[in-house]
Amino acid sequence: MSDRAFRRPPAAGRGPVGRVLTDGLVAPLRRFPFGLYPTLMIGVFFMIPFAIMFAISFAHRTESTYEAGFEITHYARFFSPLFTTHLWVTVQFAALASALSLVVAVPFTFFVSRLRRRPQVVALVFILCVLTLSEVIIAYSLSVVMSRSGGLPNVFEWLGFVDRAKSWYPSYFANLFGLTFFNIPFAVLVLYPACTRLDRELTEAAQTMGASPAKAFFTVVLPLLDRTILAAFVLLFVFTMGAFVTPTWLARPEDTMMAQLIAEQALGRGNIPFAAALSVFFMAVTLVLSLLAVRLRRGDRTSGA
Amino acid sequence: MTRWGKTVFLTLVFGMTAAPLLIVAGVSLNAKKRMFFPPDGVSLRWFPEIFETAKWLEALTNSVVIAVSAAFIAVSIALPIAYFLWRHKVFYAKALFVAGLVPFALPPVITALGMLVFWGEIGFVGKMWNIMIGHGVFLVTLPLVMISLGLESIDDEIVEAARTMGADGRRMFATVIFPMVLPYMVAGYAFVLVLSMNEYIISFFLGQHATITLPVQVLASLRSGYTPVIAAVAVMFILFAVVVFSAVARFGDLPKLLGAWTPKE
Repeated sequence: MSDRAFRRPPAAGRGPVGRVLTDGLVAPLRRFPFGLYPTLMIGVFFMIPFAIMFAISFAHRTESTYEAGFEITHYARFFSPLFTTHLWVTVQFAALASALSLVVAVPFTFFVSRLRRRPQVVALVFILCVLTLSEVIIAYSLSVVMSRSGGLPNVFEWLGFVDRAKSWYPSYFANLFGLTFFNIPFAVLVLYPACTRLDRELTEAAQTMGASPAKAFFTVVLPLLDRTILAAFVLLFVFTMGAFVTPTWLARPEDTMMAQLIAEQALGRGNIPFAAALSVFFMAVTLVLSLLAVRLRRGDRTSGA
Repeated sequence: MTRWGKTVFLTLVFGMTAAPLLIVAGVSLNAKKRMFFPPDGVSLRWFPEIFETAKWLEALTNSVVIAVSAAFIAVSIALPIAYFLWRHKVFYAKALFVAGLVPFALPPVITALGMLVFWGEIGFVGKMWNIMIGHGVFLVTLPLVMISLGLESIDDEIVEAARTMGADGRRMFATVIFPMVLPYMVAGYAFVLVLSMNEYIISFFLGQHATITLPVQVLASLRSGYTPVIAAVAVMFILFAVVVFSAVARFGDLPKLLGAWTPKE
């Protein structure tokens, strides 16, 4: 066996770090040399950029750029209102938009997963098309719907609800609606696997015993999906926190969200160190929440039983 | 709620989701250079304008070149990781797999900033290949998950049969494994292709006004005033996604790719 070639006894005097490196990294790569390419790609173009960004978050800001240094001034700014108000706005939007989109997506996904195969595939293609559609396009089409010249405000005027049509955006409502709209297809895809695993016999049994489909949904399906829905909420929350284009287009300036703040600081004001510090914080929050979602999904009731 | 209620609910959600897209399609048909819905006269003249105006054509070309290459990069990274993990379940392969899942979980603005400072430190900013590699690494998660699904669906007996017949690792990969995961690779490629075409923030950060992609151009044009060309571009995006995903659904098992549970025989 070729395996034997690198199962040599450890060389004398090799420390624990060396052993971890050889056994954990060199040995697996010898067994599968093609693993080197993805290691390099992800390492160089993803890990190293993050390491550089982390270092820059402590750098000293100069007039136009930054220079090497070690200071925590950028992190200290987290206690300023600039940061706290925008963080609070972001959390609000993320929580509301995630919850609202789930209200629509949970029953929707459940029904779609119960469709016969052909209509189900058509529904999935539709959802994927909306999901992958650029945030730019969705924000734009929603702004058309809410604009004075071409959409709902005109319909309302025509129906006599308002005297004079005016544009509905930018506003708190417009941004929340946009974010919710943008989240729905994503929510559907997150919920879909668990919904397909739900045992059909359970709802059928409930209905044979006289429960209406709605009652069966609320008393049988929802309790079984509780963890899945919670995990989906966390994922959507993280996803919405990173929204950039929708708030740029639909929100009022006072409702600026975190991603916009980072872009504004980095590109608009050239304050890369502060933007980097914001990103580091943002990344830590995201990773913790994602791990939480993974744990929640592991306890998913539809898989085990 | 009866069966009827269920149909109404489904139709309502589909309708609500499709409505803005239909309205944009309507706007793109305007005859005059104004945005009206319902359209003020019907004309298709905004569609050829995408290909006749230099800035739109350039953005379109950039987007296509970037998407095609980024999808290739993403699949090329994903395949070895997925195969590594499937073949040798060592810690290192698992770690690589997790590393491949992270980019998609992080808010893209962070990835965009990280990559921007990286290229800034090296001294190449605003190049097209910055965005190609950026998208390739950022979107690697999708082909990674899909190819892994494909590998897991391969029956152990087939692998065993190949081994008994004397195939070594390389031969088995070329003659058995590769053909079996090919549909999953193609699906992964298609997903990255569409997402890269639509991606805004990484393109915006890395492009630095030197390389402009279609979504970046759309937002820039929106800022400087509406024209129906934007709506025409939006319609093109929608059609592109419809074509690609219909093809994936036609030639592959879409529910399975999206994680639907399939009973094992």
